[in-house]
Amino acid sequence: MSSEPVERRVSYIGDRLRSSRCSICGEEYFRPKDYCGKCGRKSYGKMEDIDLFYEKGTLEVCTLVNKPTNKFAKLGPYIYGIVSFHDGKVRVPSRLTDLVLSDKEIQLPDLEGQDVVPRFRRRHRVKASEIVPTISLAFTLAEGYYPHQSHIITKPGKEYETPGIVGYGVYVSKFRIKERVMERSIPFMDEDSITAAVEAGKMALIHSGIDSSLVGKVYVGSESNPYVVKPIASKVAQVLKLGEEEKTDGLQGVDAIDTEFACKAATSMFKDATSLVHYPGSRTSYAMVIAADNSQAAPRDEVGGELDLFVGYGGSAFIFGMQDVIAEVEGWYSCTSDTPDFWRRELQSYPRHGGRFTGKPAYFKHVVKAYKKLMARLNLQRSDVNYFVSHQPNVGFPTKVAKELGFKEEQYVPGLKVSKFGNTYSGASPIGLAAVLDKAKPNERIVIVSYGSGAGSDAYSLITTSQIEEKKHRQKFTVQHQIENEHIKYVDYDTYRKFKLGL
Amino acid sequence: MGRRCPSIIGVGRTKFGEHYEKAPQNMVEEAGLTALDSAGIERKNLDACYFSDYFLQITNKIGIEEGFLSELLELHVHMEKTRSFSSALLNACFTIQSGKYDLVLVGGVEKMTDRWDKIRDDLMLLEDPWSYYAGCTPEANHELMLRAYVRKHRISGKSLDKFNTALAQVSVKNHFHAMNNEHAQYHREIGVDTVLKERSRTQRPLGMYDFAPISDGATALILASPKMAKAHSDVPVHVVGFSSATDYITFPSREHRTGFIASKKAMEDAVKTSNTKRDDIQLAELYDQSTLLEMIALEDLGFSKRGKAWLDIYESCEDYRGFYEVDGRKLFVNTNGGLKADGNPLGATGGAQIFEIVKQLQGEAGDRQVNADETPQFGCVLELEGFGTKAYVHILSRD
Repeated sequence: MSSEPVERRVSYIGDRLRSSRCSICGEEYFRPKDYCGKCGRKSYGKMEDIDLFYEKGTLEVCTLVNKPTNKFAKLGPYIYGIVSFHDGKVRVPSRLTDLVLSDKEIQLPDLEGQDVVPRFRRRHRVKASEIVPTISLAFTLAEGYYPHQSHIITKPGKEYETPGIVGYGVYVSKFRIKERVMERSIPFMDEDSITAAVEAGKMALIHSGIDSSLVGKVYVGSESNPYVVKPIASKVAQVLKLGEEEKTDGLQGVDAIDTEFACKAATSMFKDATSLVHYPGSRTSYAMVIAADNSQAAPRDEVGGELDLFVGYGGSAFIFGMQDVIAEVEGWYSCTSDTPDFWRRELQSYPRHGGRFTGKPAYFKHVVKAYKKLMARLNLQRSDVNYFVSHQPNVGFPTKVAKELGFKEEQYVPGLKVSKFGNTYSGASPIGLAAVLDKAKPNERIVIVSYGSGAGSDAYSLITTSQIEEKKHRQKFTVQHQIENEHIKYVDYDTYRKFKLGL
Repeated sequence: MGRRCPSIIGVGRTKFGEHYEKAPQNMVEEAGLTALDSAGIERKNLDACYFSDYFLQITNKIGIEEGFLSELLELHVHMEKTRSFSSALLNACFTIQSGKYDLVLVGGVEKMTDRWDKIRDDLMLLEDPWSYYAGCTPEANHELMLRAYVRKHRISGKSLDKFNTALAQVSVKNHFHAMNNEHAQYHREIGVDTVLKERSRTQRPLGMYDFAPISDGATALILASPKMAKAHSDVPVHVVGFSSATDYITFPSREHRTGFIASKKAMEDAVKTSNTKRDDIQLAELYDQSTLLEMIALEDLGFSKRGKAWLDIYESCEDYRGFYEVDGRKLFVNTNGGLKADGNPLGATGGAQIFEIVKQLQGEAGDRQVNADETPQFGCVLELEGFGTKAYVHILSRD
């Protein structure tokens, strides 16, 4: 699909599965409709917008597609079928995704009748120069890796004096590669950093229970945007309906921006989000910060291929606000130096790095400095800190820095997830933070120090509130759930490279 | 049918298959000339041309097809391009019936192999973009319908084996019929085993031998008013019933998914306007884009009871005598080999279906001539566009 207007119209409807319901007779239609076919003219203006994005459907009937059309060839073989919503009131064509079909195992009758969840994915292959087409007519089994979760909007109960995190979400795919001690998450064929950003953001909205129209700004930090020019944040804003919807124009009243600073592209914006929601003049109730990467690495035998042993895939999203805060942002410190320890030039597919110099003069110097300055600024001792999370490009660096700073295993291991997901670049330290928040009790202090090559670090101190407990039940898809999930699928090296390259 | 019943006074077609050397225009010319020849009229006597191609604009980048035809025929009459041959014929019938024209050329052409590498994407995108976006293939909807059918009618165990065999028999039967069709794409008899083996090899409920092929070809006929028919033909075939109906483009959105409501409605209307009874129809050219669709058509058109067509097929094919036995009556189906073996060049396909019924009713089908007690009086043709999105039914009758 190279037509920009067609692409806009298809993804506008398909990304969120926008649909219609007649308020007179209740008839439902996939895709927006101005009048009801049954009620005719009297229904004009009486159609309600519904969307199926947060709904659970049923796979009514399906078949195996082992000879896909050209644009889907890379995905095949796959299961294609009909999914119905609302007890058969509306039906949509559907593809099951996240399935690697080994020929003998497919039992179509076992799949039929199962509940399925719509997933936001790449639609099909296009030329490298074309717009990346997306759609949510891809589904996974609700009993599988990714559970169905309703989006229930909850009225805020308490206004805090200090802004902080009101909800968060993490998304890593169910596919992993296991080599030596490391497990790493890898995208399925139809995933990329855009789809991870949307899924993580969706999870954060579910967890926070906020009305997405109150999100005034969204930041997406990534270094693997499939586009050099065109933000991921615009897709996130549209699909998640962030900010007030201007329906007639099909636009969202939200500011959306992508940021880039290697692995600290997202953490850098935590303070901006915090400040924005704190400043009354901004009239911004909530701001969302997303970190998403399909971390890039050259193949193992090429220059820069060392990274290929460490890179992961995933996204995390944090919503900042003043109401029903689960972790207050106590303070921060950031530092920067022009240290070119890791870079990717224009038109290059893979990053390069400075080898041994990515350690001492880069990672350790910035992380330690940021941590120490933050502690000094806030007059804190190490004993005041319950959990320590740092950027995790591998297991060695964060372990070493935590030990050097005097932290015990029980303080830094909960936020050290690189051995489970790999280095998720922008998402690496935020996923660590999410893992700690999943676990933390009220009134605990968490220090997170990110690191981005180039180079710089952001250090934050967060203090959890009593609401962290109250909101826990809202998120089934926790970091731990994504580690211990029985549906995790391990693949070999060749499959991993193929998946990473994607459609 | 009222006084101005349109009649077919000449038919023509090319062989279906792969015509690497020929441009679409060459094939149109060949089919058109044959039709004019058999009608014994000159092109300059034509009042209008209705002709069809499903997607020549995509496969051959041919724009205003009428202009090409005008150049070919050196005519400046009214010409209209439709998507299927049946649609062209239907429109031509209206013009004859209205009294506007007396002699109309109806033609159809398709050149699918010119774009063989992208044809499945094109076919699916045209059939329904939203299904395409979700990963549908030209075969997948057939398989979904099959599964829905089996479930709805609770076919299992030995019955399911019979059901699967019955669908294979459709293909075997159509290949058998094509042996005597000089224009058919395939002249190769196959056995039930061949069909079943291919399904199991590819792990699909319907395999390669269940689906109509990709084909090139052209067909044409001359449609005449009663006065002209009388003047030019001793054996005119009258189009006594014609109708069309439409359904939603997205198959999953339709109310019924074990049959085509469009086929049912078109048939009911065509029968009603033709002043015949369904039971009088002994010949049927059904749109067997897949073996399943031939079976489904038997039900949609009301020949077989819902949920029972496969049994009619199975019982008729155990010892096949050239026809299906339905309700104790003989029904000759797809005696040209159907889309499966005759070929399926979309825009031309309906023309081959009509061609066959005309030849049979005229008693000129040669080795294919049905072994009925007497030459049949009525035949019907079902043609579809998309996956049951549009259905056309024509009922033909000899004098």
